[in-house]
Amino acid sequence: MRKTILHCDLNCFFASAEMLYHPELRDVPMAVAGDPKDRHGIILAKNVPAKRMGVKTAETIKDALKKCPELVLRKPDYETYAYLSDRVRDLYYEYTDKIEPFGIDECWLDITHSISYFGSAQSIVDSLLHRIRQEIGLTLSIGISYNKVYAKLGSDLAKEDSFYWIDSLKDIRDLPVSALLGVGPQAAKQLESHGIHTIGDAADKPESYLVSILGKFGSALHRYACGKADDEVSLYGNDHPIVKSISNSTTSKRDVGDLDDLKIVLTLLADNVARRLSEKGMYYKTVHLFLRNRDLKTRTLQIRLKENSDLGKQIYDEALKLFERNCDFVIPYRSIGVAVSDLSFKKDDLQTDLFSQIPVYDQKQKDKEAAMRKIRERFGDDAIFSLRLLQDCNLSGIETKNITWNESE
Amino acid sequence: MIRKYVDVICLNDKGGNIRPLFLIWDEEKKVPIKKVKEVCPRASLKVGGSGLRYTCVFEPNRIRHLYYDRGKWYVEMNDHVL
Repeated sequence: MRKTILHCDLNCFFASAEMLYHPELRDVPMAVAGDPKDRHGIILAKNVPAKRMGVKTAETIKDALKKCPELVLRKPDYETYAYLSDRVRDLYYEYTDKIEPFGIDECWLDITHSISYFGSAQSIVDSLLHRIRQEIGLTLSIGISYNKVYAKLGSDLAKEDSFYWIDSLKDIRDLPVSALLGVGPQAAKQLESHGIHTIGDAADKPESYLVSILGKFGSALHRYACGKADDEVSLYGNDHPIVKSISNSTTSKRDVGDLDDLKIVLTLLADNVARRLSEKGMYYKTVHLFLRNRDLKTRTLQIRLKENSDLGKQIYDEALKLFERNCDFVIPYRSIGVAVSDLSFKKDDLQTDLFSQIPVYDQKQKDKEAAMRKIRERFGDDAIFSLRLLQDCNLSGIETKNITWNESE
Repeated sequence: MIRKYVDVICLNDKGGNIRPLFLIWDEEKKVPIKKVKEVCPRASLKVGGSGLRYTCVFEPNRIRHLYYDRGKWYVEMNDHVL
């Protein structure tokens, strides 16, 4: 049976949410942007009047104000965005239980088995568009197809508050290959240098040819282009969202230019990720390190462990090792992130080497981290932390005025 | 039109429903709500906001919408009072 999958994308979500609560912003150029003081000064979303003035998402506030001096800037209100996003997802849930979120404002919905109840895919789409506009006050674009990749492409092609149906490869043959999910500027460049410009080109070439250009992703891309991506849409759990990875990244107050700085930032990030892991009672097997330098070039590194773990110290150690093996400080780093994936609720029962001296899993470290978390829960986040963070309080954000020094003989 | 936040006295019934009983206007006037005609999720496009819309009947048979958005109540107000 051919599936029917929708990809629902809320239009300019952050900007629309701001306009919903502040209707006076509807007719003036407006953008949601981070705080320039914390160096998060980029445009996160903009409304249609701002778009008409040439304001683009992800450009700096400075550049946006040059194009549009009267641009109204709003700080992001994530609490409201999360509230609206939850309401939208609850509404989707009235149509199907197969809902897979893709960020805060996008979701895939598998409505294959709901069609007989609601009449047709068209009636579900019409009802969704109408109800989200009327009941929540937002608009969305819906892509409809028989696989997730085409559905996502459909929502990109659909106009605001409407839908776009992709029935087969024929409908999208001539679109640039960069329109497909996962094809970034680098991959597109590589493909174009091999004469692959359109989705049709990618579908016509043999899979092995795409693999020779892009490696492992070439195989996925071939499936995407041909419409053979048959990944299931995950089941929606209201209380237990499916977690695939946990990450934390930061744009530090100043650029990270040496190993001491990096250690401070990694300590903070690894600590945060480990705390969230322990809240969920999960273990990770892969550690990712994300770096963006001053020239805004991004690099992602990852390592897969032999045995899964839930230790913050191990996240820190592995991320540091990844850096030391692969990177340097020729250009200082602006943002750094750490993530863990391959998550599971169970510790691996690994058959260890009978004669190995060192146990891989460090129970002492685990107890130490658990004790630190308990202290923080009771007395606050600043109650206990690694001494390393005091090396540069500006970078680590630790407030020294709260610290009492006790010297002992 | 503006969004005016108001105090509301409610009944939380055994079934988990919230029914507004009185609206307190300007912290002094207690206006009884005769009947709630309809409750539905709605966005207020006139004054902004999104939540549950209660269509309330006030004495003598005047209908007004009362919005409930994340624990707060508000009405759409022109410049005149209820």
